[in-house]
Amino acid sequence: MHAISKIIAAHADRKSVEVGEIVNVVPDYVMLNDRGAARAADLLRKMGGDKVFEPSQIVVVFDHHYPPIRQQDSVSQKKTREWIKEQGISKFHAGEGIGHVIFPEKGYAFPGALIFGTDSHTVTNSALGCVATGMGHSDIASYLALGYNWLRVPEVIRFDLHGEFCPGVYAKDIALRIAQLYGEDAAPYLGVEFAGPLVKTMQMSERLVLCNMVIDFGAKTGYIQPDEITARYVSERAPGRSWTAYNTDSDSDYGRIVDLDVSEIEPLVAIPHDLSNVQGASKLNDVRIDEAVFGTCTGGRIEDFRVAAAIMKGRKLAPHTRMMVNPGSREVYMQAMREGLIDTMMEAGAQVGITGCGPCSGCHQGMLAPAENSITNASRNFRGRFGSPDANIYVASSATVAASAIAGRIVSPADFLAH
Amino acid sequence: MHIKGRAWTFGRNVNTDLIYPKMWFRPTYEPGEMASHLMVGIDEEFPKKMRRGDLIVGGQNFGCGSSREEAAAAMKEAGIGAVIAPSFGRLFTRNCINVGLPVVASPGIEEQVRAGDEIEIDLAQGYIRNLQSGYEARLPPMAPESLKLIEDGGIASYTRRVLAERRKAADAARGGIR
Repeated sequence: MHAISKIIAAHADRKSVEVGEIVNVVPDYVMLNDRGAARAADLLRKMGGDKVFEPSQIVVVFDHHYPPIRQQDSVSQKKTREWIKEQGISKFHAGEGIGHVIFPEKGYAFPGALIFGTDSHTVTNSALGCVATGMGHSDIASYLALGYNWLRVPEVIRFDLHGEFCPGVYAKDIALRIAQLYGEDAAPYLGVEFAGPLVKTMQMSERLVLCNMVIDFGAKTGYIQPDEITARYVSERAPGRSWTAYNTDSDSDYGRIVDLDVSEIEPLVAIPHDLSNVQGASKLNDVRIDEAVFGTCTGGRIEDFRVAAAIMKGRKLAPHTRMMVNPGSREVYMQAMREGLIDTMMEAGAQVGITGCGPCSGCHQGMLAPAENSITNASRNFRGRFGSPDANIYVASSATVAASAIAGRIVSPADFLAH
Repeated sequence: MHIKGRAWTFGRNVNTDLIYPKMWFRPTYEPGEMASHLMVGIDEEFPKKMRRGDLIVGGQNFGCGSSREEAAAAMKEAGIGAVIAPSFGRLFTRNCINVGLPVVASPGIEEQVRAGDEIEIDLAQGYIRNLQSGYEARLPPMAPESLKLIEDGGIASYTRRVLAERRKAADAARGGIR
């Protein structure tokens, strides 16, 4: 069995499960974001449920519409605050950051865990060697009522990463390369494991970027075998937590194994409006950038701020370019302030906003006008995601976004890092 | 389950941002509200043009992207009879099953259907037919658990039933103690 199957079996109270089988599972934690909590509470009532089955498993995070700019969201968040009190839900985070950034930070994600969330990027957590997957609101409402939900045991595809990063190339570029080679449906319904010698050297921040992006190849969950880096991360973030690292039995437990030499990868950009529409940053120098959008559950961690600040130090944004920055969590924000990274980015001309999803949720400041071009270290370049459906969104690494904001057009970050 | 209807066709990698744009997100919805925004990311007139019982035929990876259940729920509410594509986004598939909307995978279907064609599907027998062109294909088998959820009207009906069983059992236990 694959480790993913073993994790599902353990949460289904079973010794083993078959790939393709549908089983009822009990998760360790379920994340409800602001929208998810409001919708799931409403649907729970409509399903005839008055009580949450297991309040201790629920973590409510306000990140998409927080602080609210529409009165309907203020009203709904007030109701949610009352609801969680009524239900005895004590794990509540408003204004502390994006669910997928704070889940690992606060120790809710750990090896061997099973995590559900009312958001597609819940898969991010799987970097810690757990199974983490997004679900719809009725799905989560049913879980709230019953304490379990169904899961189909996925087949697993493994990407073996080896070689060395070229200057200016990061985990994000690997994800874009996979989308370029294998499409937005590289792994429909599948588990995606990242393995190989390169992964063993990657820090947790880079692993989180890889696993964050697997939903955008269609996957159910990511997976990285827990190792010393994982153990160190978990012991810092969830001291005293007991956890299990499950091992995959053999190579025959994979549907497919793909070899990827990262030495061949250059800084990449997904061009509108499809994530598999990928080109080298150095070939897109004619693309004018009106707005850089920096942050989100893909690129809002402290390491992203360090890379961006190193590029932006002593430089200014191009006169026609603006930059919206939303730190992924309060912890990231405070750390970036302590390290002077926020100073550096603001001196360059960036607008630094609140922690949360930023323009990527479509509910924070920074919406685009028709025909404007944006570059972002978020995960999606879908039409209309940051405002006008007639605007263009380019997706790249944190380094490429910072360098392009300075240049005012899309550039490779390699030249900026060399100096 | 037998379904017949007129097809609307869409392309490849149609994401749920297009099926239900987030500018129409609300914490609670009035009846008919979600249906009135269906597919407006691609065609603003779609909610007015479609009729109950129509079918949506998409290209590869239809419904990819965000977990928003509104994409499936708006189709169900608008009376879409089934959504058919060579392959689907995982969350969209799951949401369709959970709202009780037949989600039908049929390899190569995007080549075989033109807008307005009359399509017939039988999920129990496992076939799809284009009544205009005469094209017919077998459908890959659907997990019996998923088919049952769709036939039962989705996960809400299932949850109601289990909750009712639990209440009955709890009442019986209390009765026993008395």
